[in-house]
Parts: sequence; C-alpha cells; structure tokens
Amino acid sequence: MLEFCLHVLIMSAIFGIAAVSLNLQAGTSGLLNFGQIALFGIGAYAVAILTRAGLPWPAALLAGMAAAALGGFAIGRLGRDLAAEYWALATLAVAELVRLVALNEDWLTGGPQGIGGITGLFPGLDGPARALATLALAAALLLATALTARRLGETQFGRVLRLMRENPDLATALGHDIVACKVKVLAIGGAMAGLAGGLYTLYLAFIGPDQLLPFETFLIWTMVVLGGLGNVAGAVVGALLVTTLYAGIPFLKDIVALPSDLTGSLRVFAIGSIVLAALMLKPQGLVPERLRRLHAQRP
Amino acid sequence: MLSAHDVTRSFGGLTAVNHVSLEIGAREIVGLVGPNGSGKTTLLNLLSGFLAPTSGEIRFDGTAVSARRAWQPSRLGLRRTFQLPKLPARMSVLEVMLAGGRLPAGASPWRSLLTPGAVRREEAAFLDKAMGLLAEVDLAGLADHPAGGLSGGQQKLLGLAAALMDDPAVLLLDEPTAGVNPSLRRRMADHLRRIREGGTALVIVEHDMGFIGDLCDRCLALDKGAVIANCRPDELSGNQQVVEAYLGRRRPGVPLRVVAGGTAGAKSSGARA
Ligand SMILES: Nc1ncnc2c1ncn2[C@@H]1O[C@H](COP(=O)(O)OP(=O)(O)OP(=O)(O)O)[C@@H](O)[C@H]1O
Ligand SMILES: [Mg+2]
Repeated sequence: MLEFCLHVLIMSAIFGIAAVSLNLQAGTSGLLNFGQIALFGIGAYAVAILTRAGLPWPAALLAGMAAAALGGFAIGRLGRDLAAEYWALATLAVAELVRLVALNEDWLTGGPQGIGGITGLFPGLDGPARALATLALAAALLLATALTARRLGETQFGRVLRLMRENPDLATALGHDIVACKVKVLAIGGAMAGLAGGLYTLYLAFIGPDQLLPFETFLIWTMVVLGGLGNVAGAVVGALLVTTLYAGIPFLKDIVALPSDLTGSLRVFAIGSIVLAALMLKPQGLVPERLRRLHAQRP
Repeated sequence: MLSAHDVTRSFGGLTAVNHVSLEIGAREIVGLVGPNGSGKTTLLNLLSGFLAPTSGEIRFDGTAVSARRAWQPSRLGLRRTFQLPKLPARMSVLEVMLAGGRLPAGASPWRSLLTPGAVRREEAAFLDKAMGLLAEVDLAGLADHPAGGLSGGQQKLLGLAAALMDDPAVLLLDEPTAGVNPSLRRRMADHLRRIREGGTALVIVEHDMGFIGDLCDRCLALDKGAVIANCRPDELSGNQQVVEAYLGRRRPGVPLRVVAGGTAGAKSSGARA
C-alpha cells in the first residue's frame, strides 16, 4: 500500500509538471496544444537515449529539456500564420508524427519495444527509500516548475500572454509581437514538458511509443481543465486527482470482481465522465483563474 | 510623420480604400469622416499596419509600415484604438493599462525570473502612470475590475488610455466618443487637446460633427473609399460632395447643412455593426 501511494504521488508530481506546462500554454496563453505528449515524449526519449549512451541523469535531463524546448519552438513557428483552430489540429498531427518516428526508427528509439533497462534515479538505494528519494526529487522539480510558471504569469510577460489569449489584435496594437510570444511560451512549456518526460523515463526505467498515444495528451488536458485553466495550483490539483483515479481504478477489480480486460475501458470511461461532470458543474475548474487586483495590492 | 501614397485596398471585388494619399504632420489633429462603410476603419487598419494595402505604400517616421510586422509601428510610436474594443474579461482594467506600457524587464521571461528588483521598479513607475491616465477618463475607481465587464463607452475610454501608456507620436482613434456621454465627451475633447500639446498627432474617425469641428485642425472626408474633401472642419458643410455623401442627393428646397450631432445620432447604431 505504501508502495502504491508513493507510486501515485511520484506519477502525480511528474504529470503535475506536464500539466503546469500545458496550463501555461493553454490556460494562460490560449494556445490549444493537443500535442503536449510530443514535447513530453521528446524529453523522455532524449533522456533514455542519452543515459543509455552513458550520460549521468542530471545532464541527460537538462539535454532532454533543451530538446523539448526546441520542439516547442518548432511547433510555435509552424503555426505562425495558422488560425488557432488549425494550429490546434496541427499540434495533434505533430504528436502523431513524433510517435511514429519513435515507433519506426529502431536504431535510435528501439522501435515498438522502446528503450528499457535504463539505470534510472538513485541506483544506490532500494525499495521504499528509493521511491522516497524519487518522490522528493519529483516534488522539488514540480515546485520549481510551478513557481516559475506562477512568476511568468504575474509579470508583463504573463499579462501579454493573457491579452494574446483574449484579444490578439489589442496585444498587437499595444506593440507586442504575438508570434514571438507564442514561440517563447511554447519553448518554455516544451522545456517543462521535457522535464516531465525525462523524469518519467528515469522513474520507470523505460520509455516506449505506447506512452506517447494521443490519449496521454487527453489525460494531461483533463488535469488542467479539471483543476482550472489559467491557474497553476489548479493544474497541480488536477494532476493529483486524475493520476490517483487513473492508477486507482485497476484496484477496483480486487474489491468488485471485474474482469481485468474491463479495467482499461473503465479507466477511460471514468476519466471521460469526470471531465463531463466537471465541465457541467464547475466549468471554471476546481481552482479557477483569479483576477489580479494590482491596485489593491499596491504598497 | 505619417503618410500614405496612393493606397488602395480591395476585398474581392469591393474597393474599400481607393487611391488614398495623405500626410499627417506632427501634433496635428485630423478628423476622418464619411458615411458608414466609406472605408474609414479600413484606412485606419492600413495606416497602422493591421492590413496590407493591395497597392500603394504607408510610411511612418521614414520607415515603411508592413502588415507582416503589425506590432512594430506601435513600438515606434504609432498607436491605434479599435471601433469595438472587446476588452478581456479575465484581466483587470489596470492590467490592460500595464499591457499598454513598455516594461522590457517584465516582458522578458528570463528577466522576470532573474531580476525581480528591476521588474518591481519598472512596474511601480507604470502603475503610477496608469492610475493617472485612468483618472483622466474617470476609470480610476474601477482599476481592479474586469476590463471586459466595463460598459461599451468605458471600454472605449480604457482602450484610449491604454494606447497612451507609451506616449505615442501618432494616435489613430476609431470613433473614440461612440457611446461616451456628452459631459465626458466634452472633457475628452480637452483631454485629447492636452495629448496633442504633449506632442502627439491625432487622427480621429468620428461621426459627431460637433466633436470634429471643435477639435480638429483639418478634416478628410471619405466616400466609397476615396478622399472627397481635405479641408477645415467648418468648410465641410459647404462642400456639396460631402453633403451628398452624408445626406443623399440634394432635394430641391432643402437647405444644405451638415448639422452638428445630427448625423452622429442617426448613425451611432450602424457604426457599431
Ligand atoms: N475584412 C473585410 N473583408 C471584406 N470586406 C471588408 C472587410 N473590412 C471592411 N470591408 C468592407 O469595406 C467597406 C468599408 O468598411 P469600413 O469598416 O472601413 O467602413 P467604415 O467607414 O469604418 O464604416 P463605419 O462608419 O460603419 O464604421 C465596407 O463595405 C466593408 O464591408
Ligand atoms: Mg468603422
């Protein structure tokens, strides 16, 4: 049971980072990135490939973040002249492209088998001690990511992102290059998602193309929408809820007698129902975006 | 300061702006009048780089205005407001004002994270400036309210105030007084005059002839995309082409006069469409 709780918490922290990243893109900036898992995957594979090549994990993690930032930058450039809806579709296509590359370039990615046998984090430790150390690391990185996102949301950078989300013409009229803003926020979001992906690989000591299915993007979106678009704390709360639920449902079959092939569909069904219920009952999310009262906060 | 050379813009078969040339001097206040659909907003979009002309060229302060970089004129000191401001519902009035300022430290993600001191100092200075400008348009009391929750007239005032956050050299205003009540409208004319004394040239699209006559040094009248008059505001009512454009063909026995306010009243609903 302790092991399971630690596992859920570690996964929540990892997906929390991915959710904070998506929240910065979609919640703050209004960029409907349906290919978030591609940025996650670039980080995950980069870390797998580099640690396999003998790089120590902190260096591999940094390199994975850089690679995913570059991926975000590319996605941002890709959509320069596309309307928001078409850009959203393009991100979905890019994510599938990344997955297909992972699936087919055996020499680099191990093909359908993926890359396993990664040394991972804290090889000197064992059992719960190792899980605890991993959790501490993941939680610290989640905190750093969340504080970064919050800070970026409250300065002029974030104001321009929010203005871009709500009225891009006004942002342009006030002298803000919204294409440059978009590229910057996708690169930053990419680095964060790459960090999440890299941690994922290191924790599970494995990454494969099945981890990059579009459903994973949907899961991260669920976390952000459930928690509250535009609020950093919301993304973290959403990640914890969805991850717990997603990991917890297979346990139902121990309580209620369920055939194990049903649990997979039950997971998807449960997540879908929760999104629907949340959208109907609390469309702003559990922790809605707050208006920033700058005047009242002045010294 | 700002000039257009033989600028034309077509939408499919419709020519919204037709071979327009104009020149706006420093500290000038120029009115832009014309019936609904005569191409005033389109001309403003062209002048500000929001639309690319089909042919012709726009220059501001020596550099060509390009729609590929629509944000650039604003940074160089050419700013515009919108006929329909559509301000954000989830940003406060004060936030919209700050977004209109030039805060290089806060606008950079790196400096936001690494130099909080510089970000704070910069923000404090612009907060003061923002509150001052908001007071001029009676919005200081609403500083922490959602900008999108303001009334239509208040949104226009906020759009104007936000544009002033960077002390533009030329300001293009699309119907700044539409939906603004008469007493505030009079104070707005004074406010705009003070802005001019501060060194800003103004181009004002307006249907309210009284407002135009009161404020402008010069008027351009558009009809079907073409400039049909370029004269002092009080000369407009003597220009038969202008009167016909506004009132239709002259009927025998009806005296020619553009009545101050009269046209504005008749058109204010259409102007919002
Ligand atoms: N993006 C566009 N696509 C197609 N037609 C357009 C577009 N923008 C403007 N037009 C057309 O160009 C003409 C001029 O429009 P414009 O908005 O410039 O008029 P206006 O003088 O500002 O009118 P109003 O006083 O009602 O604001 C109109 O016939 C309009 O339908
Ligand atoms: Mg117009």
